[in-house]
Amino acid sequence: MKPLRIALAQIAPRLGMLDENIARHHEIIKEARADGAGLLVFPELGLTGYLLQDLAADVAMRLDDPRLATLAEATEDMSVVVSFVEESGDHRLFIAAALLEGGRIAHVHRKLYLPTYGLFDERRFFAAGDLLRAVPSRLGVGVGLAVCEDFWHLSVAQVLALDGAQLLINVSSSPGRDLAATNEVGLGTASSWRNLMRTYAQLTTSFVVFCNRVGVDESISFWGGSEIISPSGEPVFSAPFFEEGLFTAEISLADVRRERIGLPLLRDERPELHVRELARIVAERAGLAPDSTADDMAESGLDVAPGDPIQNPIGFRAAR
Amino acid sequence: MTALYELPAELAIDTSIARRVIAEFIRGQLRQAGFERAVLGLSGGIDSAVVAFLVAEAIGAERLLSVLMPYRTSSPASRADAEAVVAKLGCASELVEISPMVDAYFANDPDASSLRRGNFMARQRMAVLYDRSVTWSGLVVGTSNKTESLIGYTTLFGDSACAFNPIGDLYKSQVRQLAEALGVPEAIIRKAPSADLWPGQTDEAEADISYPVLDRLLFWRVDKRRSIDEVVALGFDLALVARVDRMIAGSEFKRQVPPIAKLGPRTAGVDYLYPRRRPGSARV
Repeated sequence: MKPLRIALAQIAPRLGMLDENIARHHEIIKEARADGAGLLVFPELGLTGYLLQDLAADVAMRLDDPRLATLAEATEDMSVVVSFVEESGDHRLFIAAALLEGGRIAHVHRKLYLPTYGLFDERRFFAAGDLLRAVPSRLGVGVGLAVCEDFWHLSVAQVLALDGAQLLINVSSSPGRDLAATNEVGLGTASSWRNLMRTYAQLTTSFVVFCNRVGVDESISFWGGSEIISPSGEPVFSAPFFEEGLFTAEISLADVRRERIGLPLLRDERPELHVRELARIVAERAGLAPDSTADDMAESGLDVAPGDPIQNPIGFRAAR
Repeated sequence: MTALYELPAELAIDTSIARRVIAEFIRGQLRQAGFERAVLGLSGGIDSAVVAFLVAEAIGAERLLSVLMPYRTSSPASRADAEAVVAKLGCASELVEISPMVDAYFANDPDASSLRRGNFMARQRMAVLYDRSVTWSGLVVGTSNKTESLIGYTTLFGDSACAFNPIGDLYKSQVRQLAEALGVPEAIIRKAPSADLWPGQTDEAEADISYPVLDRLLFWRVDKRRSIDEVVALGFDLALVARVDRMIAGSEFKRQVPPIAKLGPRTAGVDYLYPRRRPGSARV
């Protein structure tokens, strides 16, 4: 298997300037192709900028938008991940990431988890996606797309890996914050992201490709630091913080096989166990079944009753 | 030689990353607004000195205008410190005495309190800066820090007025740390912070609390969401905690855009929500 050259477009999109950003994408696609890249990844909302608020509707595109078709055509013999505001037929707006291959849109992932807390307000302006799928790609491996916050939910990486992804691609607009000098790399956000990406790569024994934007929208500065992590959890490439650029690195997809043979975590996953327990938890949380793992007098969602701990071991039927 | 300043451990920041973020922030704010230059009021104190250094680092000193706006009771040492910053950076500077404007207003009101006078001076300086913003073709850069903003030690539409603020999320202790990293003259870092409204005035005497203690308290209460009981357990005096809590709550209005009565279908700041800078909003 010949090495795969990955290009990470760590760009600073211009907020709300769709045409300008599209033109920039075309330039970068040309540049990456000339550099021999087989996969080129742009950041979350690279075509529109992040902090759109009410501008979201103005820059939204339907999937049959000719501007997307033109971008897809430009990919030819490359795989390119772009991100934009997608408007559905029923006029919901999604934060979308699309895999463009062979001149067409091969797959669209709609951001599943929309952070609406702290400095984030996404749910106010966007709808959340409902589908999580790994898809085949011309790269010869399954690809799983995720957008930023999607990776702050454990199940996403695992579902994608179980569904056949060997290459997990996360596109982000992650605002840098927490400059406490005690942080490992001087930036709290970067430390957190690095921890979770290495963990995901190792636990799913997959490559993780992370493309994060740079630049400034209003108050917030995006930190870049795009990365490629090997299936053993080791960083293959780390782009500098805050610096705009097209960064490339090579990986050997054969590493996935090596890692999965040596460390068969994915083989040993128990999805049927997850489904069973999750189905139970969903029913219990909805009040459709009593909480079978809680003390009798426990407040809903708390599991532990006030007073002395008693009870039989969970999972065993009490003797009558 | 005593330490240049006291830096509580939990407040220490990575100054190289802070400088990187702030430089990009300053350039971004100017570019998105269609400006290439900046203007600020240089008091001789540490906050405006740090911002001047940051602006110079981001866009070059030649694009910065520092305006010195002393009142007749301002300390000559403040002016000398401000001039030292101008000399070190090599930026343009202007001297605008505000005494005639302020004294003209209070001529028939000799008993006006120092609070009224101080606020009026701060707003007069704001008016001068926004006028110079036109003559210099530059945006007004804010120089208020997080400590004074949280306790409300600012004049509404006075020193807090600006187009953008690079240090508004840094406590005084962190501004000092940044000042040292930037090479701000030591005398400015070392001296007691003051609004410089009358001889001998200092922030810490007026608020009856030291900056390192206040910064730590604000950090634990605001950034780390610790309860009153929890910060008392950390060693803070309960009466002090209660007093600072009141200062924070009492100045909430100074940190926000004034509310507009909701009447129509779309109201600015309520359900008409756009970025401050968007396509078409940059000056051409």
